[in-house]
Amino acid sequence: MAAAGGLRSAGWRLWRGRAVVRCQQYPPLRALQASAALRRASDEHRKEPLGSSTQQHFDSPPDGHQPEQKPQGPHPSYTGQGGQESEDYESEEQLQHRILTAALEFVPEHGWTAEAIAEGAKTLGLSVAAAGLFHSDGSELILHFVSECNTKLSELLRKEQKLVQLGEAEKKPLDEFLRDAVEARLRMLIPYIEKWPQALSVLLLPRNIPSSLNLLTSMIDDIWHYAGDQSTDFNWYTRRAVLTGIYNTTELVMMQDSSPGFEDTWRFLENRVADAMTMSNTASQVQSTGEAVVQGLMGAAVTIKNLAGLNQRR
Amino acid sequence: MAAAAALRCSLLLLRAGARAAPGGGSLRLSSGRAARGDINKPVIDRILRVDHAGEFGANRIYAGQMAVLGRSSVGPLIQQMWNQEKDHLKKFNELMVAYRVRPTVLLPFWNVAGFVLGAGSALLGKKGAMACTVAVEESISEHYNNQIRTLIEEDPEKYKELLQVIKQFRDDEQEHHDIGLEHDAEAAPAYSVLKTAIQLGCKVAIFLSERI
Repeated sequence: MAAAGGLRSAGWRLWRGRAVVRCQQYPPLRALQASAALRRASDEHRKEPLGSSTQQHFDSPPDGHQPEQKPQGPHPSYTGQGGQESEDYESEEQLQHRILTAALEFVPEHGWTAEAIAEGAKTLGLSVAAAGLFHSDGSELILHFVSECNTKLSELLRKEQKLVQLGEAEKKPLDEFLRDAVEARLRMLIPYIEKWPQALSVLLLPRNIPSSLNLLTSMIDDIWHYAGDQSTDFNWYTRRAVLTGIYNTTELVMMQDSSPGFEDTWRFLENRVADAMTMSNTASQVQSTGEAVVQGLMGAAVTIKNLAGLNQRR
Repeated sequence: MAAAAALRCSLLLLRAGARAAPGGGSLRLSSGRAARGDINKPVIDRILRVDHAGEFGANRIYAGQMAVLGRSSVGPLIQQMWNQEKDHLKKFNELMVAYRVRPTVLLPFWNVAGFVLGAGSALLGKKGAMACTVAVEESISEHYNNQIRTLIEEDPEKYKELLQVIKQFRDDEQEHHDIGLEHDAEAAPAYSVLKTAIQLGCKVAIFLSERI
């Protein structure tokens, strides 16, 4: 009863406080209070303890700096001194993580919006006000999704590499490896393909660009790492730039693709990777030709100097 | 809002390569690319990037000097120092790959600038070349010393291998510096001006390579 009251007031505070939030610092106190309030409310309604994870520590230093806030309520679920107490306790970040993961299944229906997040929160037994923890344009949801996909891709590539190391699989030639990696990553978009253009436009918002760019570059770096790239010169940049181009263009083609099983997209991808291979072959051919030409010219110069008698030391 | 703020702040931390970054400097939205255990990635990134750039530049400086003075009496000496620098570069290439460090984007620029510096100083004569060597090696030794201090402050045990490598290289560079002095570097034309200018250039190069 009192908890419900606490939730209502927390909800009001959320709705009013949203406009006032400035994202200049670490998880604001208010959000921590809100999640605490939400969690208390959820404790009332749910049977099993919050979170199967039994992690009992703060994830990040800033959380630790926040004084533990416990709005008045009859059922405190932790004793607020640094997180070692109740088994139900989880950090702000973990809570957000779980809400976003749960929200993903509602994306095909609601799009990358606060509705999807609210639905996700509902399945966890939290109040729909939990959507207030996030931006209304679904940025965090999309970034969370991208991050999850990247992690899955890394896992996949790592497993493949292990198989090759154990000798249970053949090492793929470079173009096939790149093609498969990009295809695997793009396939993760398929369940959400209807709403993905919306997500792309949100990712391009100035506010989100640092994060989305970071995610993109680290994914591409991962792919090259597992492809066996060991360059430490400017090639490092060239290769990543080329692969980023391939990935982005293929992603865009995929948005427009209506062929069965996205065959057009995979064929496009194959052609782009082949182009890149040709380009690099051509580049190295040009370089070796250039070197040969220079050698030839040097030889010619020396010959002429000899003929003219200029090469004798006096 | 909260998550976006957290994201941005953790990204800023990562980019600034803050020495105070928490162990592992983990990015919240990571694609899982920790190369090794729980090293302080931003700090190691910087160290390896700038060292790699430094050895690369040193290589090009000696190449420039050899191009001009290769057939003179100091030729063999410069060649010998150049060979040591080549070894250093090879070692850093390996470390870069092992720690998955991004090389500096200014490499093509250091390529040209190093060669020009080497050739230019050699055109001032053998003493000029030696003066350049002294200036650069002194700069690099000091820089390696700073890095050794940083790593020891962090955790000498965790970075034992890296510390060993840097100490070894610091000793080599010091040796080059002494060789330069032995060969009348100080008698070079406008020695102090040359030395100051080159060391200033090195400082700028180090600053930029750490970041870009």
